[in-house]
Amino acid sequence: MPIELFTTLNGIWFLLAGIFLVGYALTDGFDLGAGAIHLFTKDEEIRKTYMNAIGPVWDGNEVWLIAGGGMLFAAFPVVYAVSFSAFYLAMFLVLWALILRAVSFEYRNKKDSPTWKKWWDRAYWIGNVVPAILYGVAVGNAVLGIPIDQKGVFHGTFFTLLKPAAIFMGFVALFMFVMHGAAYLMIKTEGKAFDFAKKAAIVGFVGYVIFLALTDFFIIATEPKLFMNFFKYPLFWIAPLIMLAGIFFYFKWLIVDEKYNKVIYASSMVIIGSVLTIALASYPVFIRSTIDEKYNLTIWNSASSHLTLLIMLISTLIFLPIVIGYTIYVYRVFKGKVSAEGGYGH
Amino acid sequence: MDALTLARWQFGATAFFHFIYVPLTLGLGWLIAIMKYKYLKTGNKTYDDLAMFFMKLFAINFAVGVATGLTMEFEFGTNWSEYSKLVGDIFGAPLALEGLTAFFLESTFMGIFLFGKGRVSEKVHTFSAFMVAIGGTLSALWILIANSWQQTPEGYKLVETPQGIKAVLTDFLAAVWNHTSAIRFLHTVDGGLITAGFFVMGVSAFFLLKRRHVNFAKLGLKVGLIFTAIAATVQVIFGDIHGWLVAEHQPLKLAMFEGKFKTEKCASLDLFGIIDQEKHESKMLLKIPCLLSILSYHDPNAPVKGVDDLIKEYQQKAKYYASLIPVLEQKLKEAKTPEEMEKIKEQLIMAKVKAHSLNISYEDLPSIPLVFTTFHLMVYLGFFFVVVVLVGLWKLKRGTLYSSKGFLWLLVLSIPLPFLANELGWISTEVGRQPWIVYEILKTADGVSPVPATNVAISLTVFTIIYTILFIIYIYTMTRAIAKGPNIPEEKEINAPTEPNPSFTTAFSSNREVK
Ligand code: HDD
Ligand code: HEM
Ligand code: HEM
Repeated sequence: MPIELFTTLNGIWFLLAGIFLVGYALTDGFDLGAGAIHLFTKDEEIRKTYMNAIGPVWDGNEVWLIAGGGMLFAAFPVVYAVSFSAFYLAMFLVLWALILRAVSFEYRNKKDSPTWKKWWDRAYWIGNVVPAILYGVAVGNAVLGIPIDQKGVFHGTFFTLLKPAAIFMGFVALFMFVMHGAAYLMIKTEGKAFDFAKKAAIVGFVGYVIFLALTDFFIIATEPKLFMNFFKYPLFWIAPLIMLAGIFFYFKWLIVDEKYNKVIYASSMVIIGSVLTIALASYPVFIRSTIDEKYNLTIWNSASSHLTLLIMLISTLIFLPIVIGYTIYVYRVFKGKVSAEGGYGH
Repeated sequence: MDALTLARWQFGATAFFHFIYVPLTLGLGWLIAIMKYKYLKTGNKTYDDLAMFFMKLFAINFAVGVATGLTMEFEFGTNWSEYSKLVGDIFGAPLALEGLTAFFLESTFMGIFLFGKGRVSEKVHTFSAFMVAIGGTLSALWILIANSWQQTPEGYKLVETPQGIKAVLTDFLAAVWNHTSAIRFLHTVDGGLITAGFFVMGVSAFFLLKRRHVNFAKLGLKVGLIFTAIAATVQVIFGDIHGWLVAEHQPLKLAMFEGKFKTEKCASLDLFGIIDQEKHESKMLLKIPCLLSILSYHDPNAPVKGVDDLIKEYQQKAKYYASLIPVLEQKLKEAKTPEEMEKIKEQLIMAKVKAHSLNISYEDLPSIPLVFTTFHLMVYLGFFFVVVVLVGLWKLKRGTLYSSKGFLWLLVLSIPLPFLANELGWISTEVGRQPWIVYEILKTADGVSPVPATNVAISLTVFTIIYTILFIIYIYTMTRAIAKGPNIPEEKEINAPTEPNPSFTTAFSSNREVK
């Protein structure tokens, strides 16, 4: 394990960036997954049950993205600036989708009209599926590389980003979130809503495994050097092992043992493992340049000053535990099964 | 249009749109928390009814606020990447702290606040209301610190890196408590309180006019009135301090606020006027002699500089810095110790940056009539609000508040005005800051992302469409929810007397501490 991951501020911030990414994927991941299956059931009661399961928590979950974005801005401003401007239209697609999602939660149930609901359901579904896929595509592009010059100016178009391996990674992400969302819904629901979640879990699992295999195949065939880090630092193997263990247990608990309340631990392992695997594979690079390796954005050439990194580290160490504390409290308040009834007096 | 113009339109439009919703969230959060608190203290169920009803409206507003806030956070990277690279070291920190300390708090407790009634105790529910209000206010604090740093940068130094020149943090507290962050925070949050106060008064007045939920509406109107009376009065004082700081730190902005082209001693405050930017001329009506000098510098004889002279001054400064560059370069060659070299290098970078950024011409200025008009309208609205609440208090004392139709209609029609005042304030602040994106350091034109104009045109178009639809749905849903009224039985109240109910008044006259 490269020691500077723990001994330098830049290294620690690489890990923290990973933690925020994992935090986001673990929490908002199940919202996205639950939303992605929304249109595949016609049953109004199931749809409403699912939305009620997500309702009280999704906004807090989304803050992981906002806070993570802020952290990236503060700690690695160059990465933030280059990636957001290079992925310009893709970023806005994600944003518009998230806007649709945020407002559909509030407005869908404000009126009892089938047309009103039909359109909000579509908006809601798009609002979940588009980000889920594009996150994968964006991460894929960052590790596979994009044409940026030494000033970080992007020399490509929207279509430069649509490489097959990156698109496969988009689907890996989508199915991963479906696995996770279904696991969450199995805990929160019963009856026919539960049965549908179980089906979705199986679909998510199969889709994830297929696209993961396809992605790996493509990368081995075209970019084998992405695996270099794992030979240089054997301890890095922990990450893919967590992912594989997650896949194993997901199957075991869902299909073999039928321990439905445990499945979410397995999908969490899959998420943690997948995110860490990608992060460690590209370490210490954030964004690879396909023009010249010299122009890669790394934890060294794109970081903030030591003073800023230090202040932000201290603030994170103080506030993140508090955040996690009250988040757990809120999940406790809302524990137990939900139904199509309720909401807050619409 | 080029990418720069489009990006400015996009940022301005999306920020404007975000700030339609923000003030109400900021202020209504506090009002609801106060109502919940009063319910806990007095046990009067009407307070809880008020809180629950306004919570529903709050949620409708909050949803769009969150959705549009996301945009702002994205845009610094997508549209202002050069700016983000240059100031990320300083500007990123408050944005990150906003997420960490404010949004998590607000959004997480929002879950309990909206869905938790009945699941948690009334105490915890009230506590959540306070956490939502505090979260919103903290978020305003951090974002305004970030914005104020752009207006009056401090606590930084400039360094040269392979990716270009960057501002680097040297003193965190100085950067955070720069000259204008405290007053900007107070003034903006107070703008939110006024907005929510007028909203609650207007909605209550609407029910009174329609004779629906009369007791409920009376209490709402009273709480709203006392709350707004304080907020609106204080705002005039905050505004005065704010103007004084503008005079001190951004004289060019002050000159545009007041439409002054020529430097004036004992400068007059002009209430109305027409400005001809091309001819460098303004025709003013209603001049109050010397008042501007008094307000800006607390000295009737202090000169207030005009736009023309200020531009000349900036150009001279730029020339001076340009002339420093060769001198410093020479010195750098002769420098012996590393410390000395370090120091000269710093001065050299500063000279290079200033020689470029201070070299502005008259054509770089934004529309002065726009800055002048927006600023003046805000101030007039500020005084108008004070008049309205004073009349309201007087009527409350005389006991005619709930029955004077004209005044109640005035309250209903005033609902949009504080929203307008907030937007006018921002437009004058932000447009008046031009031509810089970071005052006197980075020109706006140098902060824009190197993305093709077509991309920006596409995003601007989609934003316009989405935001227009959102706004229509927002107004539709909001008015529907208001028309539907609170979830309390109406029958009981139809028989209620319309004149002040004596038992009601006595129950509350002992609770003056609503403030
Ligand atoms: C944290 C920083 C920040 C905050 C809180 C705001 N702005 Fe701003 N604003 C900027 C940071 C900024 C900026 C990034 O610095 C811009 C983009 C281009 C520019 O010149 O400044 C800007 C430009 C800008 C413009 C265009 C000015 C021009 O190009 O002539 C308008 C009209 C506004 N803003 C309006 C607002 C409104 C209504 C806000 C209320 C939410 C607001 N700004 C908050
Ligand atoms: C231009 C800079 C701004 C950025 C980058 C920004 C960012 C954001 C973001 C990301 C959210 C969503 C948070 C969530 O999901 O809970 C949000 C909401 C919010 N913002 Fe902004 N914001 C800006 C301007 C402002 C200003 C000037 C204020 C206050 C004075 C403000 C106050 C708020 C509040 C109170 C919310 C809570 C939700 C709501 O608006 O209804 N923001 N903002
Ligand atoms: C009554 C007298 C008022 C005065 C003298 C006053 C003064 C000022 C000044 C000087 C600024 C510009 C600060 C800058 O450019 O840096 C400003 C900005 C602003 N004003 Fe006012 N104002 C008044 C009333 C109001 C009211 C009633 C509201 C809202 C309800 C309001 C909302 C704002 C906002 C949102 C800004 C932009 C943010 C900021 O810079 O603080 N103002 N005001």
